[in-house]
Amino acid sequence: MTLRRAYQILAWVAIWLHSPATFAAAGDLSGEVQRQGVNPVAIVIFLLFVVATLLVSYWASKRTASSQDFYTAGGQITGAQNGAAIAGDYMSAASFLGISGLVFLGGFDGLVFALGALAGWPIMVFLLAKRVRNLGTCTFIDVLSVRLDRNRIRLVTILSTLVIVILYLIAQMVGAGKLIQLLFGLPYEVAVGAISILVLAYITFGGMLAATWIQIIKAVLLIAGVSIIAFMVLKTFEFSLEDLLATAAEKHPKGAAVLAPGLLFKEPIQVLTIMVSMLFGTLGLPHILMRLFTVPNMHEAKKSAFYASVFIGYFYLALIIVGFGAVALLYGNPTYYDAAGQLIGGSNMVAIHLTTAIGGSVLTGFISAVSFATILAVVAGLTVTGAAAISHDLYAEVLRQGKPNPRRELQLARIMTVAIGVIAVLLGILFQNENVAFIATMPMVVSASVNFPILFLSLFWAGLTTKGAIVGALVGLLSSIILIIVGPQVWVSVLGFDKALFPYDYPALFTLPLALLSAWAFSKTDRSERATQDRNNYHSLLLQSELAEQSQEASMAATKS
Amino acid sequence: MQFVKRKIKQRFLFSLISLTLYFSFALNWTEFGSALRARIGESHITGSLVIFISLIVLFILLELLFIRLANKQDADHQRLAP
Repeated sequence: MTLRRAYQILAWVAIWLHSPATFAAAGDLSGEVQRQGVNPVAIVIFLLFVVATLLVSYWASKRTASSQDFYTAGGQITGAQNGAAIAGDYMSAASFLGISGLVFLGGFDGLVFALGALAGWPIMVFLLAKRVRNLGTCTFIDVLSVRLDRNRIRLVTILSTLVIVILYLIAQMVGAGKLIQLLFGLPYEVAVGAISILVLAYITFGGMLAATWIQIIKAVLLIAGVSIIAFMVLKTFEFSLEDLLATAAEKHPKGAAVLAPGLLFKEPIQVLTIMVSMLFGTLGLPHILMRLFTVPNMHEAKKSAFYASVFIGYFYLALIIVGFGAVALLYGNPTYYDAAGQLIGGSNMVAIHLTTAIGGSVLTGFISAVSFATILAVVAGLTVTGAAAISHDLYAEVLRQGKPNPRRELQLARIMTVAIGVIAVLLGILFQNENVAFIATMPMVVSASVNFPILFLSLFWAGLTTKGAIVGALVGLLSSIILIIVGPQVWVSVLGFDKALFPYDYPALFTLPLALLSAWAFSKTDRSERATQDRNNYHSLLLQSELAEQSQEASMAATKS
Repeated sequence: MQFVKRKIKQRFLFSLISLTLYFSFALNWTEFGSALRARIGESHITGSLVIFISLIVLFILLELLFIRLANKQDADHQRLAP
């Protein structure tokens, strides 16, 4: 079972890791899940979380008067707060439960996803943060339209944004529904409906401000929870990492091999496909890039990315203890296995079982509630991003050419929030019995193959033209979808063929260079009038992206004097 | 413009260092990485595990260094600007 199950988990972890939100009931998400008994502590803590976050939304609604407030919290979030919110996006239930499950099954190999999730952040700070922040107002699409044909480039990137958001939401909703069945014993449809209603209550009124504060609260709770578990695991082994690892090596069926690479992945290309998808996927996720606009200035944007790295780094270091702690304490413990010898609830439940083993039902209730809360927070952020793609990028910038009726734009943003919430519920119910592992794979791959290449080239290559960007984006989109379809996730697991036509689950290692190459080739051969304009626009974009902040500060100083 | 060019070089240098460190992690799955997979001394801690932890710490330190440098350069540039 292990290999097949591990692959299913990998796909789920990939998305949740980044979306930040997620984990999944270890490979059991496409079928029936085993419903657990209701944990009253979990219910109480979760209800407290809901009440607190609804109060936050009420407070935020009083401060959300314009569309800017709705999309970017009026740019008034501090660097540290935004860093915690970004970290909240990453330190998801997926990261927590998914990576713990992976380490439980495959030992060291499970940590590849953790590194991929973190490594995107330094690159974000070095290459993108300042330039994106200085050029855009609400979404990363604003940045592209500074030098390229605003209508055409917006339409293409709105498409990629919506593909990413919708796929993400399907994966989140199906995963969340199954998870809540596992943790709280609620029926699937009720769980999915409850999530959607709560998210709509948060976002429709409180917009990005509410989404940000909900992420912050969740991040603090999750860090506290993981720290407590790691502390108690270490305490069990008298604070000796050596004893912990020695016991893990003794208990795992593969012995000491669990501490070294090679249990899940046999070849470096397989590892590279995951690493490329995770790192470059992070750099193109629209809801992550949008967070750069929620802070008042560049200084705070850089600070927020740095704080996010610190929180995320700490979280993944703690997960080493949690993962190997689960190996050491759960293998061979009959309490957590069913009659057939399978871990109850699947491998993604190992962190919950570990929590029970070391902290009893109170700590389990706390962690279960935090896991549910984490999904709410991620769905909230995705909903704002999807709504902004329609109300800001399509209505305000394309249809109204940057001069929208502000009241109507805000109204539309709220209507789109409700629409996306309803779509998420419908798709969540529609896909509940499907193998959606491939849907979980797609957002990261599409993000790495479409959004990142054109964003990078538009910021760093003077030769990029609108035609080149559009062709590059479409090649990236189509090639990533086709390769995922002919890859193991769909070709074998869904369509039932014996062997995949393409051997890897995460094709970004191939589709990202293909998108870059297409954009380069079509830009180089573009002799249109628009192409000349696009190339000429680069110089002013360069100065604006690097010096806008200083010009603003200088003019403010001059005004004061 | 010189200032902007210097900043771009700096951006690419830091990115190159980070990407090199990041993708070198895949060496763990190659023949070359067999030494990394070995335990350190008598302990159960493997070289691979040490590299994983070191990379996380290094990434954070690189970011800190980059931000400090960038802030200092921006301040100097603003002070010297006419």
